[in-house]
Amino acid sequence: MTANIIDRKERPALDPKDFKGDVHPDWCPGCGDFGVLNCLQRVFAELGIPKHEIAVISGIGCSSNLPGFINTYGMHTLHGRSLPNAQGFKLSHHDMTVVAVGGDGDGYGIGVGHFIHALRRNMDLTYIVMNNSIYGLTTGQTSPTSAIGMKTKSTPFGNPEAPLNPITLALGSGASFVARAFTGNPKQVVEIYKAAIKHKGFAIIDTFSPCVTFNKVNTAKYYKDNTYDLNAAGHDTSNIEAAFTLAIKDTYGTDRIACGIFYQSERPCYEESEKNTLSTPVVDHQLGISPERAKELKATFQ
Amino acid sequence: MANKNNVIVRIAGAAGDGIQSTGELLGKTCSRMGLHVLAYNSFQSAIRGGHVWLQMAIGPEKQTDHGEEPEVVLLFSKTSPPVHVPDVKSGGTVFYNAATIKKEEIESIRSDVNYYGLDLKAMADAAKLTEVNSVMINVMLAGAMVQTLNLDGKVTLEFIKHKFLKKGEKVVELNHAIFNLGFEWTKANTKPLNLNLKGNNIPKLFMSGNDAIGMGLVAGGLKFYAAYPMSPATGILHYVSTLAQSDKLIIKQVEDELAAINWAIGAGTAGVRAATGTAGGGFCLMVEALGFAGMGEVPLVTVLVQRGGPSTGVPTKIEQADINLAMGGNGDFPRFIVAPKDLEDCFYQSARALNIAEKYQLPVILISDFFLSEHFETVDDLDFSKIKIERGKLLTEWNSSEKYKRYAYTDDDISPRVRPGTPGAMHLTISDEHNEYGHLMSDIEAGLPHARAERIKMHAKRMRKVQLMIDNGDVKPPTLEGDTNAQITFVTWGSTYGYIKSAMKLLEKEGTKANHLHFTDIYPIPREQTLALFKKCKRIISVEANMCNSLCRQILAETGFEITEHINRWDGEPFTGEYIVNELKKKSIVDKQLVNA
Repeated sequence: MTANIIDRKERPALDPKDFKGDVHPDWCPGCGDFGVLNCLQRVFAELGIPKHEIAVISGIGCSSNLPGFINTYGMHTLHGRSLPNAQGFKLSHHDMTVVAVGGDGDGYGIGVGHFIHALRRNMDLTYIVMNNSIYGLTTGQTSPTSAIGMKTKSTPFGNPEAPLNPITLALGSGASFVARAFTGNPKQVVEIYKAAIKHKGFAIIDTFSPCVTFNKVNTAKYYKDNTYDLNAAGHDTSNIEAAFTLAIKDTYGTDRIACGIFYQSERPCYEESEKNTLSTPVVDHQLGISPERAKELKATFQ
Repeated sequence: MANKNNVIVRIAGAAGDGIQSTGELLGKTCSRMGLHVLAYNSFQSAIRGGHVWLQMAIGPEKQTDHGEEPEVVLLFSKTSPPVHVPDVKSGGTVFYNAATIKKEEIESIRSDVNYYGLDLKAMADAAKLTEVNSVMINVMLAGAMVQTLNLDGKVTLEFIKHKFLKKGEKVVELNHAIFNLGFEWTKANTKPLNLNLKGNNIPKLFMSGNDAIGMGLVAGGLKFYAAYPMSPATGILHYVSTLAQSDKLIIKQVEDELAAINWAIGAGTAGVRAATGTAGGGFCLMVEALGFAGMGEVPLVTVLVQRGGPSTGVPTKIEQADINLAMGGNGDFPRFIVAPKDLEDCFYQSARALNIAEKYQLPVILISDFFLSEHFETVDDLDFSKIKIERGKLLTEWNSSEKYKRYAYTDDDISPRVRPGTPGAMHLTISDEHNEYGHLMSDIEAGLPHARAERIKMHAKRMRKVQLMIDNGDVKPPTLEGDTNAQITFVTWGSTYGYIKSAMKLLEKEGTKANHLHFTDIYPIPREQTLALFKKCKRIISVEANMCNSLCRQILAETGFEITEHINRWDGEPFTGEYIVNELKKKSIVDKQLVNA
């Protein structure tokens, strides 16, 4: 295996079918999450990463079932805790490719504290949030990205709270790779995911993944009609001010919704600070203390 | 009667006065002379001010009790005398900082102790020392203490050199000079105590329980520790952090305790030995993830250092009321709970915790308490060669033609665990109920006949690991120490161990024989063996630093045996042997009154 902090070699492409899991997805027909799954399988195959060198780690929710449908290592953790598990896993076995996945409730609601710190920490992993602006698995309550006024089971008179903006939050928290994608445009999704996995640092891709059952507002048609490719429009991804200008545009109103890579910087990833310890993956370290070292440890207390 | 080769001393002042460094000078002097020391820190949650004191028991034997009345006291701040002078043993000695404490005021408190005020500025000026800082009074008073206890001043001078050398020769010389001023002044102006503190000249380790836990974890193969600072568990994070680079450990302070335990679970899943540590409040946040480690069969060690509760409670004081918390979580899952009894035990049990976690693929909770974790004590030696790292069924290869089942049913209910990254054995670690492959059943299968059968089987597979730990002899019954014919049996757990030893000695002098049943493994408890031990006991009295008898409830739940007599303390201060004996006497008076009525 190659150590990601040192190099990522180009490798021959694999067959996406290899990445098909044992279990058929139980998502509703037409769910956006199928798009994320298919794209991710294609990306792993096209990047040629062997399946045993990948860990896909999720929280809880409809979209967090994804690791069960892909043939790699992985964890299906607790609600909101994909990132802590993914970061602990990554530092322990840093030459594996780690992708954290989950929904908007999981990542921007119950897990938002971890999200912010993961952004500033900048560990070399990829985080895909399948954002549908609704709680699906619990049958349709308001989410952190539901629009003001949106009627859901928990807000029958309309959501009074302003939605969280994942892109400005990420940009403001020291993220080194910030992107937005829409599952209705798989070509762009694949491109972005590839760039994100290749990126040496923490990459967040807020991915519109419409819920066909509980969100009748932010539908596939809504995004199809309102999104455009910001990179094709000539955005400079190294310019954080320009990224903010695009990111503050309302995704629920009359503004066109920009999709693509908002920002990418080359600041050192977290693993660089542990270079000595990570000269070999921690899982391969010899355990325990030599008799000579034991003497030294005890001497500090004498 | 003053024990001639044994002494209790106290160093008191406000936070920021250097009480800890004075204690370190004295403690290291004794430990390097081969004497035993037990030092109890009493402090509050303030960084400056308040009342801070350190009480130390010193003697040639292992010290188990910091005692009640100090014979020699060093007082630093003007608020100290009214708090501490009344505690001094009659005929004892008080050295104080004459710059902050007025002679008339302190001497008016009581007349049966000897007072000596030391004036740093006057004495330093007379000796023509320059660059003297008022906080250096602590070195001068340490000189007074070392002289009055008739300890070897050369040992202290050597330690001062060791401690200050990185600040330069000049700093060493100045501190030596100030120490000598205090030492010589005391020699010339005071009556030496009738003491003969003789060590065996074999230097001991002088460390805290948190240091010992950290060292035990590292000795046991720890590679990963994630935590969020919380008293009194933070010392573990501090200690292992110092080793991060030299010993190639991943040590992470993360954003909260939810993160800390989940980072450790991620690391444990990846295949490294991982732990986290916190106090009761932080542990509350970790409990959901504890169940995840149980369900996902992930090896994990969580150190739970108890402090006064509930809620934020009393952060810097002792309490032993968190067994219920360690037993907490939704649903049933296997776990192992161990409570070390002293510093050596902190070291060995921490290493053992990592082995059990990995061998049985489950969460282990190591319970300490404020006193055990934060107090300093001498340790003869820690034997690293006794620690054997056992990784259980961890595989780094999968060559079978069969598809790998992470949660395979096996004869002993422990499934071979293939390390992620291994070709051909891709699988999930999962928090939902699942089948042998780790496919979840909650979404579309739960409730169907085959899923019900699977649920019964998989749940039972996990829970049978509890009995397996007992059957394998990896979980031990309590230990019964002392005369089996004793009239009284004290039942304890955790740091209360040492105080019972000291209470037993005091009782023996009065002609009362007591023995001691101590629980180290708190869950599971081997039922039959434990009941057999209870059968041997006459009058059984629990001694716990809590109000509601955490251990007794655990014993009742696990064995059906009910303990009905209790000695409790929950004012935040640790027991002492004397305290326990007094409580016992009060009980006996009540008993007699009942008989007479």
